[in-house]
Amino acid sequence: MAAYLGKRFLRSFLTLFIILSIVFILVRQMPIEGYFPNIEKMTEEQIQNGIEQMGLDQPMPVQLFNFFKNLITKGDLGTSRIYRNNVPVTEILAPKIPVSIKLGSLSLLVSLLFGLPMGTLMAKYKGKFFDHLGTGFIVLINAVPAAVYYLFIQLYGTELFGISLLFDPDKWTSWILPVLSMSLGNTAYYAMWLRRYMVDESQKDYVMLARIKGADENRIMFRHVFRNSFVPLAQYIPTSFLNTVIGSIYIESLYSIPGMGGLLVDVIKKQDNAMIQGIVLLFACVGVIGLLLGDIMMVILDPRINFSKKGGDR
Amino acid sequence: MGLIKHPNLEQLEASCTEALKNNLSNEELFAFSEFDQEEVERTGVSNYSYWRSTLRAFTRNKLAMFLLALTALIVIFTFIQPYLPNQFDPILASNDANGLPLKNQPPDSVHWLGTNDIGQDLWARLWSGTRTSLFIGIAVACIEAAVGILMGVMWGYLRKLDFLFTEIYNVLDNIPSTITLILISFILKPGIGTIIFAMSLTGWIGMARFVRNQVLIIRDRDYNVASRCLGTSTWRIIMKNLLPYLVSVIMLRMALSIPAAIGSEVFITYIGLGLPATIPSLGNLINVGRKLIPNPGLLYQLIYPTIVLSIVTVSFYIIGNAFSDAADPKNHL
Amino acid sequence: MSKQKSHRNRKNASKLPIIIVAVVLVVLIAAGIVIFTQQGDDTAKDDRKIYTALYGSEVSTLNYLTTSNTWDQTVGANVIDTLVEYDSLGNMVPGLAETWTTSEDGLKWTFKLRQGQKWYDYTGKEIAEVTANDFVSALEYVLNPVNESNVAYVVVNAANVLNAKAYNNGEITDFTQVGVKALDDYTVEYTLSVPTPYFASCLTYGCFMPAYGPQLQAEGTAFGTAVDKMYYCGAFIMTEYEPQVKHTYIKNVNNWDAANVHLDGISRIYNAESETLAPQMALRGEVDSAGLSNDIIDDWKLNHPEIITRDRAIPDYSYFYCFNFDPKFDAEYEPDNWLKAVNNANFRHSIMSAFDRTYAMRALEPDDPQSLLQNTVTPSAFTSVNGVDFTALEPFNGIEENFFNTEKALEYKEAAMAELKEQGVTFPVKVLVTYKSGDTDWENESILLKQQLEGVLGTDYIECILYAGPSESFLNATRRAGNYAFMRTNWGADYIDPYTWADPFAITKDKDTGAIVGNSYNKMDLMLDSDYTQTKEILTAYYAQVEEAKAITSDMLDRYNKFAEAEAMLVNNAMLVPYNISAAGYQVTKLNIFEGPYAPFGMSNLRFKYQTLHDDFLTTEEYNKAFEAWREGIAK
Repeated sequence: MAAYLGKRFLRSFLTLFIILSIVFILVRQMPIEGYFPNIEKMTEEQIQNGIEQMGLDQPMPVQLFNFFKNLITKGDLGTSRIYRNNVPVTEILAPKIPVSIKLGSLSLLVSLLFGLPMGTLMAKYKGKFFDHLGTGFIVLINAVPAAVYYLFIQLYGTELFGISLLFDPDKWTSWILPVLSMSLGNTAYYAMWLRRYMVDESQKDYVMLARIKGADENRIMFRHVFRNSFVPLAQYIPTSFLNTVIGSIYIESLYSIPGMGGLLVDVIKKQDNAMIQGIVLLFACVGVIGLLLGDIMMVILDPRINFSKKGGDR
Repeated sequence: MGLIKHPNLEQLEASCTEALKNNLSNEELFAFSEFDQEEVERTGVSNYSYWRSTLRAFTRNKLAMFLLALTALIVIFTFIQPYLPNQFDPILASNDANGLPLKNQPPDSVHWLGTNDIGQDLWARLWSGTRTSLFIGIAVACIEAAVGILMGVMWGYLRKLDFLFTEIYNVLDNIPSTITLILISFILKPGIGTIIFAMSLTGWIGMARFVRNQVLIIRDRDYNVASRCLGTSTWRIIMKNLLPYLVSVIMLRMALSIPAAIGSEVFITYIGLGLPATIPSLGNLINVGRKLIPNPGLLYQLIYPTIVLSIVTVSFYIIGNAFSDAADPKNHL
Repeated sequence: MSKQKSHRNRKNASKLPIIIVAVVLVVLIAAGIVIFTQQGDDTAKDDRKIYTALYGSEVSTLNYLTTSNTWDQTVGANVIDTLVEYDSLGNMVPGLAETWTTSEDGLKWTFKLRQGQKWYDYTGKEIAEVTANDFVSALEYVLNPVNESNVAYVVVNAANVLNAKAYNNGEITDFTQVGVKALDDYTVEYTLSVPTPYFASCLTYGCFMPAYGPQLQAEGTAFGTAVDKMYYCGAFIMTEYEPQVKHTYIKNVNNWDAANVHLDGISRIYNAESETLAPQMALRGEVDSAGLSNDIIDDWKLNHPEIITRDRAIPDYSYFYCFNFDPKFDAEYEPDNWLKAVNNANFRHSIMSAFDRTYAMRALEPDDPQSLLQNTVTPSAFTSVNGVDFTALEPFNGIEENFFNTEKALEYKEAAMAELKEQGVTFPVKVLVTYKSGDTDWENESILLKQQLEGVLGTDYIECILYAGPSESFLNATRRAGNYAFMRTNWGADYIDPYTWADPFAITKDKDTGAIVGNSYNKMDLMLDSDYTQTKEILTAYYAQVEEAKAITSDMLDRYNKFAEAEAMLVNNAMLVPYNISAAGYQVTKLNIFEGPYAPFGMSNLRFKYQTLHDDFLTTEEYNKAFEAWREGIAK
């Protein structure tokens, strides 16, 4: 296991390196004019100065080397130029990360809290009222665009509770609606797949055998069916957490939550290379770690899976 | 795969219970069958046809059939709508009696779904938008499937390429698709082509991995080993032995990626990188409409595109699932 | 077996619903507590007058010495005082300077500073006195090319400060040669290279604001990147600047004019969806003002007609449609064909005459588009000479003849088609109409424009192609890159002289080779070097006229007339199509906007000084009254 993890880590670093390089080269394909919001009112000297300051006049490999050198030796991601002029990228990101993580983990928790029981119950009462009710919910959530129902929840939810439309980190009440809205998609996702896996699983021979032997139905459901059905879902949890953090752009925009949500879109549009690289690094890190965690979680939950063994299929 | 086939499980259980309850004797439970000369002389040739069975299984699903018809109707209607009488152009603004744009006109007998804030006919925009969005969705699904299957089969079947492909996959899969979407939509000119390209660029990876895993499972099954031993070409094994087995899952993924692509289009439009308003799409219409949510009097501009989007999403989802069930040979009994 | 099983089943399974019900209950109880705590909070509200509003896009810097972005400048305008300022009726009044004098030759301007004015940091702690040196060091910062100031051009080109250009270009490195001196702690003296009658009006712009010298030195390019990286001397002190979260200001009670600052603080909250949410929040009393976009205004007129008011229409921005003389768009839109067509006067006139501006402007101003229309690039009410508004000067007589007239348009079309067919122009001519994606009003305007123009001229003649440029770096990708054929552009005045409106079209040359590279608007100056003799003649005359006007610095009437004549040349030859001034958008607000400082240019309009916060939203009636009073006041 340790050897496997070590190898995985090394490979993850390689992956990160490649991703960053690709993005680094990609963003430098954008036109020079984009770096200066007011290029027409600038003199030639000023433009030249700016290009030199950003190191854009150097050949690409040199730029790339400098970037990685600064990153590794000083943990320096460069300074933002347009998003916030002359402020280090790390300084901009630092306060935003915890907010997004808090929001993401809370909403994930809520979606597990609702989604897993829901999926279990739907599987148990397959074809009955509760199953139809749950299916209705899942269909609704998947069919109506999030952009639409988020805004409905915000407008009418705040009115119902008599709270502010905007988020205030100090008032715990203002966490409810954003977290709830954000968890809806994942709740539906977990319920849907858990139900599916459980229905499949409960028709397997060993379950049949257990039933025939007269084992307690609930015991079968939870000890065997649920546990085995949860394994493939568990692998998805870390990634879904990340997607929640990244994908909270709607929620963060609507509630004025100072997280990372819309940041990437913002800085790409503003052509702020240093910021783009910083955020991509962050997201890619989280993605790689997510995959790793997902695999580890599978191993813990399902002793049959052994990654130390050679062979990639699972 | 199992001793007792699951669809029959409940039935079997029920009949057993019934039998036990009635406490019938063996004579009552079992009876000799009649001798039939014709039956005896019938040969063991099966008239099983994969596609016919699939079709039969699929048509048995009433809901899926209904939704299929509905979707087909919507698709057809998006094409014939402009040729119906009393239709408006989706781009041109309608004027009122004074020659001014007829703005925010609620639904009436002339403008069936009303007009927007510069007097464009929403009925025309809705169908024009549905056409665009469906086109994007279907195009993305097809490209994803084509590229994904090709890559996936190669990845799974050709052992030498496995390492390389796995590495490429790790890299590509770790770049959040949002980033790729945004970067591509930003670098290229906004338009239908760009959106399709941006979505396909990341979408095929999932399909490829999926196919690869399936191929790995099937590759070394006995019948394939046998085929190889008999000197069947790799290409033929892939085409005849592997792909048919994958049809059900591929169709499911394709069916799901159509609504996913339409959803992505809504997202891209939301972040301001979508299609220009001169090309109506469901994403455009919903994004304009959602800004009007706080104003109940104007909600009619949001509701209809949302309904169409929901119908399309749910239909493809259910049709896809039904077809995947139907295409699974295990369900052809 | 089965009976027993199902029985047990039901009993145990009932646990799960209980859990779910419990969770739901917890949530509901939580919600109940929310309502309670919320009500408790409301009673503790203080009675300070804090103006609260949302904003939807973040400033990129607080550095008022470098930014030319209006929203960025809002910060500087409220926290830094200038030598002179404008009152709510547009009169120039003393600011940090109590008095000032101009030398005989108009080259030396001397300002006597108000004593005892202090710099404060973001916590309100006193740092130092505001002295004449702070004006010198700030200007040095602005002109130093390292700092990439986007407003240096005002000092160099408009205010004509002596040697400013040379220092900014790096030709001289000794700043003492530049025309700004601190004669003593309370006296600033500016020396100009040519007499500049409007010099004092330039002083309200960011580039002439003071900054504490030692801090500029210490922070360098980091100046103004955070609240603790600048000092304050204006009506307000910025206490919090959390990007994409909030901006908070409190009143600077020690400011010399604190008696005229009626707000105790300003709180601006970031929300990316502010356009959608702000009107709702205003109705719920969470914010004190909100803009009402054109797509929702109909619904508001129905439901809340009594509190709809409008913004001030300020003639500091002018919008005009440019014909592009250096088409650089994709070959599929036929740039070469366009270049030939656009150099034909009849072609340009046909479009200008066919263009029903009031129709397209419905997208921007649905109710009274006429009120915004301009027949000149210089907005009316921008400046006047001897009591005559610039746009009413004699050279502009009959200028309205150029505009919307279907009959004439068709005559021009006939003539243009005949002439252009000879030159091998293919019809329909493709007209690339560019707009900014994400700008709904503009998009709508372009749609209406296309429909209307093609309706009059026929699609056998022109085909308008709508092109959505990117929402960020829009101008770089479109206007400046020549990526349009016919496009709405705009220019904002930086100082009060007609010259500011000729600025965008000035001949632009490459610094090294001296070759004309084209101004960043319509690139028409490129035609001076071309074979299009018709266009060349017009332009030669125009640029000569501008030079002539610029040289007149004593006789204002003459100067203005000459400038008017130059501008009239552009319009009468259909080199561009004047369009409108900024629309006064609909809004609900608790501020009486007519109390705020007013000037038809620059940063004065961004100030919250003089404005009072009402308890309720201004009613339409109150607004109309205030508007009337303001108009009367300004007429005097």
